[in-house]
Amino acid sequence: MPLIIKDEYPEKLFREDGKRLDGRDKYELRPIKMEVGVLENADGSAYIEWGNNKIYAAVYGPREVHPHHLAKPDRGILRVFYRMATFSVFERKRPAPGRREKEVSMVITDCLEPVLFLELYPGTAFEVFINVMDADGGTRCACTTVAALALADAGVPMRSLVTAVAVGKIDGELITDLSGIEDKAGEADLPCAMTWFNEELSLLQFDGSMDLDEFSKCLSLAKDAISKIYEIQLDALKKKYIEIQEEYSGGEKKE
Amino acid sequence: MEHEKDEPNEDPTGDTSEDVDIDEFDDEETSRDLVVPGEILSEDTKNFLPGRGTIFNKDRSKIISLNIGLKQVKRNYINVIPLRGFYTPRPGDKIIALVTDKNPVKYICDINSKDNGVLKPKNTVKRGKPRGYRGGASDDQDNSTEKYEIGDILIVKVLSADRLNKPELTTVGKYLGKRRDGLVITIDPPKVPRVIGRSGSMIKMLKNLTKSNIFVTQNGRIWLKGDDLAHERLLIDAIRKIEKEAHTVGLTDRMSEYIENEKKIRGMN
Repeated sequence: MPLIIKDEYPEKLFREDGKRLDGRDKYELRPIKMEVGVLENADGSAYIEWGNNKIYAAVYGPREVHPHHLAKPDRGILRVFYRMATFSVFERKRPAPGRREKEVSMVITDCLEPVLFLELYPGTAFEVFINVMDADGGTRCACTTVAALALADAGVPMRSLVTAVAVGKIDGELITDLSGIEDKAGEADLPCAMTWFNEELSLLQFDGSMDLDEFSKCLSLAKDAISKIYEIQLDALKKKYIEIQEEYSGGEKKE
Repeated sequence: MEHEKDEPNEDPTGDTSEDVDIDEFDDEETSRDLVVPGEILSEDTKNFLPGRGTIFNKDRSKIISLNIGLKQVKRNYINVIPLRGFYTPRPGDKIIALVTDKNPVKYICDINSKDNGVLKPKNTVKRGKPRGYRGGASDDQDNSTEKYEIGDILIVKVLSADRLNKPELTTVGKYLGKRRDGLVITIDPPKVPRVIGRSGSMIKMLKNLTKSNIFVTQNGRIWLKGDDLAHERLLIDAIRKIEKEAHTVGLTDRMSEYIENEKKIRGMN
């Protein structure tokens, strides 16, 4: 008799002490760790640990487009390949890209395109390869964040970085940064990404139900969370160079 | 080969310092402020204008960085000197090219850029030999153009380059042509000015201390040839160290110390 494990979600997504299942407060983010320049062979690369999510991103380009018919004569293109490892989720994920992978790839492409100067590189492609090694909710936001970091690390001219976070609603309460189980069992899920050039939203998806007041409150929650993540992003990007700088400044560091 | 004398001068002295923006990294006004894409550099748009690597925001109230790099204020321009990036060919650049394909009308060269370079036979005319009628397409053994093979390493100059067309190259000129010996290593193209140093100081120091010939080119490829393998290895290590520490202050002095130290450690004269 094979063991069958059903998708069972707990009845309540809040603990008795008012905290969430993983012990967070309502508006608390999961611990985030970022690093750039992790892959030697890529032009630019980045790694993120966002709670239980572990994601690598690698950037190549500008380079020739294969297949060639995709090339645009007047501008470059951005291609994002979002893939999940077979071992990244509880049941084995089939390695072939399915509907979900294609959707997330397209969403991230559309989200990152406005910050790049693609018109300067006609006939070429920037390629971003994102591999999810471990998934636990909010991977599209984590992927957008890490892809922007990898692009910046590759030296691609950008108007600004892009930062993303998911906000949502569980058990009638608005929360920030949904984990996997909250994403599946909760009432609403609202991933959004912001570019820091004019502080515009670059990605906004919505799944679930929520009234308009809650929606606008969600957006302000998202903005708060995004500014926190942006600080981590900046630190990660500068750390690589500042460490070397401090090692050799010899006390004569300019302020 | 019968035309050895037409080969590029094997001891090019003071070669590379002629066509580079040398002062970029070592400029007095270059601060060591590290900036990232999207960072606001200045809100004083009356006195400053965006220069290289920077841009106005939509309502022209802020100047914003486009690259990860070092902030530099030059007269009334704010520039960002990138620390990472790729090579974009510009007319007049001297670069190292690798012949990857050839056909009767052109050579295709890999130049470490998004497009392959095109080298036409009319741009490979031998020095001192006027080109014959119709591009020197005679059956004579003594042709008037240089012949290259796939896999050859050439030092070339960019004749024309723009966004849309493939860059056109030439091997006619001083120090240009095929290299038969030495090594070629690749570094990040934005760090090339740092390997050359202010008015060639770094490269002179490297040459003197390691007794090697170096040819630094704009596409991040460096041709080098030392007396023996030990000197070449020391030189490569030194260049890698420069590449890693390109954004720090006082690099030239530190590098000469490093090389002297390493010489003692490695037991070189």
